[in-house]
Amino acid sequence: MIDYYVRKNQYETIQLDGEWIILNTDDYTITQLNAMGGFCWSVLNQTQTLQSLIQAVHDKYEAVTETVEKDIEAFLSDLMRCGLLKHAS
Amino acid sequence: MIQVTTVSLNLMNMFKRNFHCSPVVSEIQPDILIHIEEGYGVPFVNYEVEIIKEANQICFRRADYLIKVDSIYQNARISVCDELALKHALIHLYSSYIIYKNWGLLLHSSCVIENGKAHIFAGRSGAGKSTAAGLSYPRELLSDEATLVKITTDQITVFNSPFRSELAVTGTEKCAPLASIQLLYQAQQNKRIPLAKSAGLLELMDKVFYWAHEPVETGRILKFMRELANAVPIYELYFQKNHTFWELIS
Repeated sequence: MIDYYVRKNQYETIQLDGEWIILNTDDYTITQLNAMGGFCWSVLNQTQTLQSLIQAVHDKYEAVTETVEKDIEAFLSDLMRCGLLKHAS
Repeated sequence: MIQVTTVSLNLMNMFKRNFHCSPVVSEIQPDILIHIEEGYGVPFVNYEVEIIKEANQICFRRADYLIKVDSIYQNARISVCDELALKHALIHLYSSYIIYKNWGLLLHSSCVIENGKAHIFAGRSGAGKSTAAGLSYPRELLSDEATLVKITTDQITVFNSPFRSELAVTGTEKCAPLASIQLLYQAQQNKRIPLAKSAGLLELMDKVFYWAHEPVETGRILKFMRELANAVPIYELYFQKNHTFWELIS
């Protein structure tokens, strides 16, 4: 079974010096992302799978190692835990 | 302009001691009208605030104060237990008011003028905000507890704060452009370390006097913070308890 992910809401987001800050206005928490995390967040505006997200990162940054794939998997888990993403069908 | 009414002599005297007051001029419409009354609740218990949103009104309730304000911040009623409750309630209402008006922020910090520029000292409780302000004498103070920051896209200005904890108002200048923000840590050696903008922003977010109740306004605070972090350098300041830390700022 494939999991689909998408942003839970259109949360307020700002960029500062290449880093991203997302304000979860449902529970008033803040999440800070690095540049690649910010890129992933931007494409999660539309429904993604782990594989489609890895592909998007590959297209953007070219070199995607196995470590990065694991990082993206962890990133999705972290953002789910932060309440920023939800499963989509 | 804020118009205040009360039948309490105690509270009116507290106002006269702490704020610049003038008689009501009937032709001038106040920006907000505040009625204050005594006899509410119990003396300070903790900082926990309950927020109740109704159709045309927001209520902020703490053990020692109750604020009721209409949704467009034109009329407010503050009920308090004592002078401390009134001071905290006024900070609460004023901070919410300037965010609602998209004017700026009230930051939990002190602020000192050096060569015509304002420098903010923020930190966790007990970090030394008032200490740093006191050690800065004879420089003029704009605040020792709650710094009033006006934020526009092209300028960040600190105004003389009416909310003081212990140090008397010394500033004759009414405002000054903001030049730096220091996050304080008491230490054996003076050291000043620049922070990345995003790290500085995250450190400052919980220094805003704000009780979250409206996602739009919380988003506004984030945008204010972005303007602040983009325009003004933010540092960690490790400081000895004497005036020598100013050598790192001046």
